[in-house]
Amino acid sequence: MSSLIIERPLPHGGRLVERVVRDKEAAKKMIKGCPTYDIKPTLHYETGVPVRNVYREIMSICYGFFSPVEGSMKQAEVERILKERRLLNEWIFPYPLVFDISKEDYKKLGVGSGDRLVLNLKGKPFAILDIEEVWEIDNPEELAHKTFGTPEDNPEVVRERFNKKHPGWVIYRSLNPIVLAGKYTIINEPKMRPPFDRFWFPPRKCREEFDKRGWRTVINHQTRNVPHVGHEFLMKNAAYTGDVEPCHGILVNAIIGVKRRGDYPDEAIVEGHEAVNLGGYIKPERHLPTICLWDMRYGNPLESLLHGIIRQNMGCTHHMFGRDHAAVGEYYDKWSTQILWTKGIPSFGFPKPPTDVPYGLSIRPQNMREFSYCPTCKEMAYSETCGHKREKLSGSFLRGMVAEGVQPPAIIMRPEVYKAIVKWWKHFNYPFCNEKYVINKEKELEVDLEDL
Amino acid sequence: MAYFMVVLLDDNRFAKIKGTELEEKVQYMFGGELRCLNVEVSEEMKDKILQEFDTARIDSRGAITDVPVAFLRELFNQVAEKKSLGSEVIEAVLAKSSEIKELAAKESEYLPAPEI
Repeated sequence: MSSLIIERPLPHGGRLVERVVRDKEAAKKMIKGCPTYDIKPTLHYETGVPVRNVYREIMSICYGFFSPVEGSMKQAEVERILKERRLLNEWIFPYPLVFDISKEDYKKLGVGSGDRLVLNLKGKPFAILDIEEVWEIDNPEELAHKTFGTPEDNPEVVRERFNKKHPGWVIYRSLNPIVLAGKYTIINEPKMRPPFDRFWFPPRKCREEFDKRGWRTVINHQTRNVPHVGHEFLMKNAAYTGDVEPCHGILVNAIIGVKRRGDYPDEAIVEGHEAVNLGGYIKPERHLPTICLWDMRYGNPLESLLHGIIRQNMGCTHHMFGRDHAAVGEYYDKWSTQILWTKGIPSFGFPKPPTDVPYGLSIRPQNMREFSYCPTCKEMAYSETCGHKREKLSGSFLRGMVAEGVQPPAIIMRPEVYKAIVKWWKHFNYPFCNEKYVINKEKELEVDLEDL
Repeated sequence: MAYFMVVLLDDNRFAKIKGTELEEKVQYMFGGELRCLNVEVSEEMKDKILQEFDTARIDSRGAITDVPVAFLRELFNQVAEKKSLGSEVIEAVLAKSSEIKELAAKESEYLPAPEI
């Protein structure tokens, strides 16, 4: 066997967190006599529109996407993350994750350290939170700024002060003041609603799927968009990275959560990616679209760190990163993510890349530039290879075309992908997320629960 | 960065500018699969658009996108009327912001899906 062979990495932290109780009788005993709390969405601090639902974090923690995180964070852990992007157990992690409630709810509940709280979702018992500490967020605006950085404190990559136009900043600014910190355990496993059910591959199942398919090396493609042909070429070409042969598999992992108006609906995103392999543009044997539940924070380099953690936990050996990775607006330098993964960002606690610091990651970054159409080559061409003037592809430009009712040419969007968009357009009477979609989605969520 | 907005030209729209000076400025994109015109947008106008229309974004090419469909329709109307791709076109569109927003409010609820 070649010494250059790359093996699948261990989960971040050394083991997969799995905190799901599947024995209903045991679950009933666990919650007997415990106080209950109905999970509520986090509402925008000014408009009252839902911006986050903590249930998605509970799912991603308990199924191991965020290993080694096991629950809502204590104050000392949040402070360490904001300073060094590390958990108290030393492993790197980008964001504070907390279970926050209002002062009124806290008073009503009357719980404290050592208590077990049953968390209901859609009126059914869903999870428990074993409270280890109760602490208070004094200044959510300060927390929001510290979470994403400022031009003064993080001059390497932060270009503009964050504000209420940034959806991730709004999430932290909108948190309730009381944090109940402690480990979560799911005690009533939710059922994914279609079409998400067939894309649900939590880390253990995903690693087993890789084994079934004989995938040793797998490159991840992060997405929150329906794919255009530029994305398809990015996937196909990034997959040539590997070890002694190209990557065996391409994992598409779509982040599913609260949507911004103007985004495509999650249903169209997952089925759009599936259409790429059903249409044969990438063989289904080599391509696996999946989901992860998370309300995007749009933290560019910080989000890329979370993506690295999620995909390493899912078993990927490589992760492609592009320009403006998981970004919105011009708050960060457009190459911040690639700066993090090639040089590090000292002010965020990374004097070296996340793969080169103690308790860091093992997943290999594949920093990519762009594919665009070259009228001279008459094909999709890589920006660093093709010497001609090219026509850039842009998801936003395509959205405008779709909205005007113009079917994009097949050279920039596959007709099968467009069909997936139109299928959900007919279902929702709208091609993109609008207020109605966002409100309904946050009512229905991606899961259903049975009685316990 | 120079900013611009793209006006897509289907056959119907193309007929309205055919024979004018604009015809020479038509660009063919993606191997001739798409016809379009690029309208220039100043820094000041870019800021106004982003302020007035909260879905608007700037893409990697410097193009302003994700404005309401009513905005795009009015943009074409102004281009065709003024026979220009200059900044006065955007100024004229922004002068009708209230009207566009009214139309946009309806189109944020419903857009007819194409039959394919």
